[in-house]
Amino acid sequence: MASINIAGREVELDEDGFMVNPDDWTEDCAKYFSSGEGISELTEDHWKVIHYLRDYYKQFQIAPMIRKLCKETGCSLKYIYELFPSGPAKGSCKLAGLPKPTGCV
Amino acid sequence: MPTYKDMVQPVRASEAEMRKIHIEPVPDDQKCEKAIQYLDEIRKKYRSFVMAMESCVKCGACAENCHTYLGTKDPRNIPTNRAELIRKIYKRYFTLEGRWFGKLVGAEDISLDVIEEWYSYFYQCSQCRRCAMACPFGIDTCEVTFIGRQILHWLGIVPKLHMGVGAAMEKVGNHTGLPKPGIVDTLEFLSEEIMDEFGVEVNFPVDKPNSDILYIPSSADYLLNPYTLMGAGMYFTYIGANWTIPSTVSEAGNFGLLFDQYFTQRHNVTRLLDAAQNLGIKKIVWGECGHGWRAAKMYIPSLADRPVNWPITHIHDEVAYHIRTNQLKLDPNKVDHPTTLHDPCNYTRACDLQENLRTVIKACVADFREMYPNKERTFCCGGGSAILFDDPEMYQRRIQLSAKKAELVRATGVGKDGNGYLCAPCSICKAQLYPMVEEHELGVEVKGLIDLVGKALVWK
Repeated sequence: MASINIAGREVELDEDGFMVNPDDWTEDCAKYFSSGEGISELTEDHWKVIHYLRDYYKQFQIAPMIRKLCKETGCSLKYIYELFPSGPAKGSCKLAGLPKPTGCV
Repeated sequence: MPTYKDMVQPVRASEAEMRKIHIEPVPDDQKCEKAIQYLDEIRKKYRSFVMAMESCVKCGACAENCHTYLGTKDPRNIPTNRAELIRKIYKRYFTLEGRWFGKLVGAEDISLDVIEEWYSYFYQCSQCRRCAMACPFGIDTCEVTFIGRQILHWLGIVPKLHMGVGAAMEKVGNHTGLPKPGIVDTLEFLSEEIMDEFGVEVNFPVDKPNSDILYIPSSADYLLNPYTLMGAGMYFTYIGANWTIPSTVSEAGNFGLLFDQYFTQRHNVTRLLDAAQNLGIKKIVWGECGHGWRAAKMYIPSLADRPVNWPITHIHDEVAYHIRTNQLKLDPNKVDHPTTLHDPCNYTRACDLQENLRTVIKACVADFREMYPNKERTFCCGGGSAILFDDPEMYQRRIQLSAKKAELVRATGVGKDGNGYLCAPCSICKAQLYPMVEEHELGVEVKGLIDLVGKALVWK
């Protein structure tokens, strides 16, 4: 477990670099994580995916089924991989401040 | 990325996380003594373990039968050498020749280095039992690594992945941490998807009392495998079943089998039987999950602490029965892709599912091609026992561990034109193979078996 400073705020990260407390998330966190994920610039589509994930998580305390994420944001899975090279589970969830998905995923 | 003296190791759970799964980590200066104490207790209890410790003659028959060794070429990944990591300690403390002659007879003192070796190598073993089939003495190295992982757990050494699953299971009743509203929302979404794609009305009843069938899906299906859940829903609807999914135990897997065969494994079983009793069901039907089906089929009665009043079957057995009795109309031409079948190790070396898998897939697919070796001689996907670690070095290991399977898939030719299906009817196999078919450029898409049933069904 490590604590880092993102835009003047202390944020706790787990061993995989995911946020420990999703409530601490700000847009600055997404910007901070994007460089480590090989994303040069966060576009409108990135933000659409990130905000959808956050809204869904707020309501259900879990990330949505990937198929639902694709359908609701209008992004194909292939496009999501272009946006977030390490994929929807590990890439976009990290930027959105969600916990790392666990289990057989 | 954690490495220890040139050994790769998965990220491990922190001490605070271990306490969440009821283990007080043993301090380093007591680990060796405790490890010997646990080993002593276990050897007195498990004759299969003593047999494995006492009877290996190092013939080497296991070596080329292990996909982990074939993929890594690390001699410590040869099954007999992997078992030797614990055998040398057993010899030193529990045999006369080991106590007297030590290193001369291959015995070694316990040390923290040895414990770190256990952690590295017992978590590179998929516990697939292919070596057990090859061993002329019937030594099952899986039983040895089960025991190695159990001792590590009691010492407080567990991969973060396995710890997280154990904690999520206890918190909400499944491995991915899905609470009931998330389950219901996803199933409602899938009802709409089925209507859009197949034009059929399918509902997924959750916690419906007095259902006949309690269906236990893998919770990974909710995130990653939509067609497996959709196929199950369509199948139950087609046969007119009175069925339900329990929100309190929406999980076919049981990671307890893989790291803690005491509290963690028993907890899943307790939840399952409580749900069965509370909902007044008549039969439990298992979803697509290899290790979980092995844990359920073999070990529920011994962990139940009460009479088990319900038959427990696998959905593949159920579908095969309905095919054989002509109660399902399936059109194999609806699945218009060359398809091969990956036999999950737990289904075919532990659960006798190999023939029913074929009854089902041949009814659903027009161009089915066997992959060899198959059935009980299958090679593991490389992710078996949930070694689905994704930190960079362990991920590279997973690519090596899946190399044998990739070679066999390629030999079937289904991916030659880039439109093949690789049917892998187990959640761990799916999670491993989704990225691995890309890494090895196999030209196939990974599918479950119930996915194909859903696609091939002919509705009246």
